[in-house]
Amino acid sequence: MPLFHPASVQARLLSGDWTIFLAASLVVAAIMFALIILPAIVWRRRPNSGLPPQFNKNPRWSIVYIGVPLLLVAGLFVPSYIRQKLVDAIAPSPSVVVDVTAFRWSWRFHYPHSGVTIVGTPRTIPTLVLPVGETTQINLTSADVDHSFWVPAFLFKRDALPGYENHFDLTPTRIGEFRGVCSQFCGVDHAYMLFRVRVVSDAAFARWRNSKGLATL
Amino acid sequence: MIQWLTATDHKKIGIMYMISTFFFFVVAGLLALVIRTQLAAPNLDIVSSHTYSQVFTLHGTAMIFLFVAPFGLGLANYLVPLQIGAPDMAFPRLNATSLWLFIFGAFTVLSGALVAGGAAASGWSSYAPLSEIKVSAGAGQDLWIIGLLMVSIGSILTAVNLMTTIFLLRAPGMTMWRMPIFTWEIVATSLLILMAFPPLASVLAMLLIDRHLGGHFFDPSQGGNVVLYQHLWWFFGHPEVYIMILPYFGIITEVVAVFSRKPVFGYVELVLAAFAIAGLSMGVWAHHMFTTGAVNDAFFSATSFLIAVPTGVKFFNWIGTMWKGSIELTTPMLFALGFMLNFLIGGITGVMLASPPIDFDAHNSYFLVAHFHYVLGGGSLFAIFAGVFFWFPKVFGVQLSERLGKWFFWLFFLGFNLTFFPMHIMGLEGMPRRVVTYPNVEHLALLNGLATAGAFVIALAVVLFGFIVLLAFRKRVPAPDDPWGGYTLEWATSSPPPEFNFHSLPNISSERPVFDARQAARRAAEGVA
Repeated sequence: MPLFHPASVQARLLSGDWTIFLAASLVVAAIMFALIILPAIVWRRRPNSGLPPQFNKNPRWSIVYIGVPLLLVAGLFVPSYIRQKLVDAIAPSPSVVVDVTAFRWSWRFHYPHSGVTIVGTPRTIPTLVLPVGETTQINLTSADVDHSFWVPAFLFKRDALPGYENHFDLTPTRIGEFRGVCSQFCGVDHAYMLFRVRVVSDAAFARWRNSKGLATL
Repeated sequence: MIQWLTATDHKKIGIMYMISTFFFFVVAGLLALVIRTQLAAPNLDIVSSHTYSQVFTLHGTAMIFLFVAPFGLGLANYLVPLQIGAPDMAFPRLNATSLWLFIFGAFTVLSGALVAGGAAASGWSSYAPLSEIKVSAGAGQDLWIIGLLMVSIGSILTAVNLMTTIFLLRAPGMTMWRMPIFTWEIVATSLLILMAFPPLASVLAMLLIDRHLGGHFFDPSQGGNVVLYQHLWWFFGHPEVYIMILPYFGIITEVVAVFSRKPVFGYVELVLAAFAIAGLSMGVWAHHMFTTGAVNDAFFSATSFLIAVPTGVKFFNWIGTMWKGSIELTTPMLFALGFMLNFLIGGITGVMLASPPIDFDAHNSYFLVAHFHYVLGGGSLFAIFAGVFFWFPKVFGVQLSERLGKWFFWLFFLGFNLTFFPMHIMGLEGMPRRVVTYPNVEHLALLNGLATAGAFVIALAVVLFGFIVLLAFRKRVPAPDDPWGGYTLEWATSSPPPEFNFHSLPNISSERPVFDARQAARRAAEGVA
């Protein structure tokens, strides 16, 4: 069973980063756990055991245990940096643009090219409709306090901040419905500041857009 | 009573500091039980959302500002003069001022729960504009600001006091390079406090000005900037993380060396690593802000990765200290080993979160909650208990039960991991932090159920700890001056130490004067025989 089910082009890059770091972490954790636990077993104090050897340094080992972690984090930085740049890249001509405005406590999705606007409430959760296989640019801001736009299936979040506009691309790869949440605490109904992401075929998206968002998907 | 309220003796102040922080630990722990009860199953409605916001705000605020950080200062207050062979702190009255600023500040924060509108409810980091008066009008937020201002000023004064004491009041022979590692860690911690707490006081004052004096530092509609708040907060907040761990690295170093019957491995490296961590920690703050899209992710990612290297040095030096030693698994040593295992997990997830692509998913999810609880709970808190069991006989002159202490360790260790390990997976499954409830999707019901069960195991363990302490004072088994075969000067005086600490000091010619004295006495005895 795969650990992640990335549902966008960007999410595949992000889950790749997770996989690299999880693999490295498991190896490091296994070695370190052994090095911490084994001495406590192997050199456990026995009755009448005398004073152990009183050594207190080993310059040769120092080079190893400073050098190896340094190389390890340098090695991890490279894929992390490359993937971050790719995920943050913005396509020059996206197929769809959506202006997303977060507010206490729901979301407004506005499609400037087709004039469709969807506004939710904590009780009527809004749906963000995206075409599969196409790149959508999201322009994200907030009308009041800090919020954050998180779609776990896309393994991605970005903050919605008043006075700022954030831009990012989403290129969904799977048709389906995904959960979206606010992940920056914003007051009493923070937990109910939800949305849905509905990824549909190109044809269905065109039909929906031409009906000004009235057609059922 | 009056004697304690007016005390300027560093030991009394240290004891009052530590006992008051434990009181706030219990308060924050009870609040955690409210959180875990509300989250025990999906869609519960045990406390209202507004109450829940106050509960997690006070839980975080109390654990960080009123327990983990000040306990280290309390312990430093008690130990540093003893460890360097000084009769007291450099400025005893300033010391009392710090203590009472802390206590009154702490109660000011908590008193928010009694006012109309309730306590602060914007989270422990109280991001503006959520904490601005337009959104959070209640006086609870103001009491939170004013209380923390008092706490921060108290901490700054303590840092000045500790550094002056360490630089100027060392006993003859106690050169800087013979100081115990704990004392070194306090030098690094004090430096960090002096650099990080003034920005905290600034951001709190700016928020207060915004709320009541017509300022608009953080109001975008008036030209203010919300990201500025985050910058100031984390410019304080990340060094704060190390203020909450460096003293505890010191405890672990002392405990591991004594119970391995070996000198500290890599003494100079450990000291340099502490300062490397302190220095780097001033340049990593914006890794808390990768998802804002307003910071240079690559730079802050690189500096955050680098901090793993000196932290790794600490681990290897502890392992080197245990290597070929004669390891005695006492309660403090068990807690030190538990610290290493838990802190390793928290450290590894810390490196993961320093990678922006991972942070884009994990930030402000339960994965992050798991990470910082492994660092602060599994790390600092375990080290605190290692220290409590190690120095309790010195401080109070009575012994804690070793048998019950070990029970306490295992109960706490299992409860801790049962509570916090599942939170990693909750985060991967899309559960954000600070939610009052969650839908019944994926495995969230099961994972939250496990975490809640674990929280009550921890509560049981803490009750057992209270019982162990009560039993010690009931039975009053007198503690010898040096119950563990200690190394540093606090073990050269009586338990508890007299006023002004020492009647006479042993010769100090290494970083282990008490060990040297013991060896010399043994050789002399053998010579006579």
